[in-house]
Amino acid sequence: MYIFAHRKARGLLEGEYASIFHGRSLDFEDLRTYVPGDEVRDIDWKATARVGTPLVKRHKATRRQQLLFVVDTGRNMAAIARGGETKKDIAVMAMGILGSLALNHGDQVALVHGDPRGTHALPAQGTERHLEGLLQRVDAAATLGAGESRLAGQLEYAAARFKRRMLLVVLADEVAVDARITKVMRRLAAQHEILWVQIDDAELAGAEAAARASYDVAGMGPVLTVLAADLELARDYARDAAARAEALTGLLVSRGIAMARIGHTGQVVQSLFALLERHRRAQ
Amino acid sequence: MELKFWWLLPVGIAALAAAVVLALRKPGRDGAPVPVAHADRLTALPRYQRALAAQRRWLALGVASVLLLAGSLLMAAARPVSASTTIPGQVNRDIILCLDVSGSMVGTDEAIVGAFAELVTRFKGERIGLTIFDSSAVQVFPLTDDYEFVAEQLAAAKKAMNKDTANFDFFAGTYQQPGSSLIGDGLASCVTGFPGGDGQQRSRSIVLSTDNMLAGKPLFTLGEAAALAKASKVRIYSLNPNDYSEGTYADPVAQGLKDASATTGGAYFPLTSPAAVKSIVAAVQGTEAKRLNGAAVVTVADRPDVPLGLGLLALAGMGVAAWKVRP
Repeated sequence: MYIFAHRKARGLLEGEYASIFHGRSLDFEDLRTYVPGDEVRDIDWKATARVGTPLVKRHKATRRQQLLFVVDTGRNMAAIARGGETKKDIAVMAMGILGSLALNHGDQVALVHGDPRGTHALPAQGTERHLEGLLQRVDAAATLGAGESRLAGQLEYAAARFKRRMLLVVLADEVAVDARITKVMRRLAAQHEILWVQIDDAELAGAEAAARASYDVAGMGPVLTVLAADLELARDYARDAAARAEALTGLLVSRGIAMARIGHTGQVVQSLFALLERHRRAQ
Repeated sequence: MELKFWWLLPVGIAALAAAVVLALRKPGRDGAPVPVAHADRLTALPRYQRALAAQRRWLALGVASVLLLAGSLLMAAARPVSASTTIPGQVNRDIILCLDVSGSMVGTDEAIVGAFAELVTRFKGERIGLTIFDSSAVQVFPLTDDYEFVAEQLAAAKKAMNKDTANFDFFAGTYQQPGSSLIGDGLASCVTGFPGGDGQQRSRSIVLSTDNMLAGKPLFTLGEAAALAKASKVRIYSLNPNDYSEGTYADPVAQGLKDASATTGGAYFPLTSPAAVKSIVAAVQGTEAKRLNGAAVVTVADRPDVPLGLGLLALAGMGVAAWKVRP
């Protein structure tokens, strides 16, 4: 099992990925400017010294598939998921599985995470230690003390900073689609391949709603889920939730992005494999 | 209005405050609340906003009701009392009308009954009884403070004693013995009309109307009956319409009655006409009242009606709130 790349590899040394180059090497040494996310060891130091700005060898930088996790680590992720677990636990597990697959395939993993207080990036590396570091970073960042969640900020950061083609894995909760997200997703989808992993939020009304006292991590105010025992209100809620899900699905489908929904850790492996399968079959 | 246990108020308020603080600090039944994200999925719904406003309203009512209930019960526990000053003698009297209904006395009796029929409307706590006698005594009604009944009986007696009446049923039983105006027996019957027992604190008086014209052989002489009255601490006020004393001449018949009254600490009033009865009765009442006016006594009465009424209201509010608020 590996993460399938639809676009043909344009370098010669890209392993199992299908290449657009056939025959022998042309010893092609194309250079481009360094952008964050590129590996330091790909930098052509001689050319950099001549020009004065960092330059990387394009064929080396694009040789390997890079997996970029874009993770919301606002305090939404410290809230509970549909299954009652903390959402970031599910996110970390999903990241670990996808990251391990990528590492086993010889790919590299990178991370962009954050909240409105700041978005942070960790560069791509292909070691397990690095992956472990990424997981710990996400676990440590997504606390109730973090800022509010604004996934659009991390998406815009990734769109602005990562010029090279990557495999993007977005780990988010049930985000509400707005104009900002639509715009940045359109841009990202044109540039990268994207997998979308949604961690389902706790139900607030209806039969599956947790009957425990709860509070909203956005405003830190109480949420009276007992009021949702009202059938009319539960119906309104269900209609509204369906509309939100529909908006996100519509956006992703229109961009050819496969999505997985995970409610608790027991579903992670199954959902991710189904996601990879869908992604592989998609055109 | 004052509070008997006023010190309960600060104690109770402190306890109430402690309870509120404890209730606020104690986590809910479900333990700590759990964090949820995207709560606007629910909270942004107009129907949720309306339900929340209603919940807030009923909760506020519930909290206000609980506080009101606690406050009013605290107030009631502190015993609001009102003190009033009363003169106990005024309402601590027993009077028995002891009326000789021989033919010569009927006009006087009617005046006495009429006077008391008027007086009884102003009675508060006094007890009154009526016994009539001729050769034998009949208790028309015993000592009672049922003034409605008394007024009814006195009206019936007054009607029967009218000289134009043709109905003599009222006097049935007063001719069981040979003779007439057996005063000693009649008076003794009246004296025994007072309840026995040593613990009695009420003053006792008999308004005795007779001309002391004894005809027959009584079991008790007037003197013996008077001694009985004295032993029972009953004062006798005698009204005699047929006193023939004039100047220095003392009517021996009237004198006997006078002496009998005096031995009991009562008084004797010769009557010149039935019209004078009213003033004499007033005088007797005045004498008795004066005699009985003791030291003013402060009576303390509980006044829990307002706090308990508020408590009931608060309970109703709590009921409504508990019904409307979702747990």
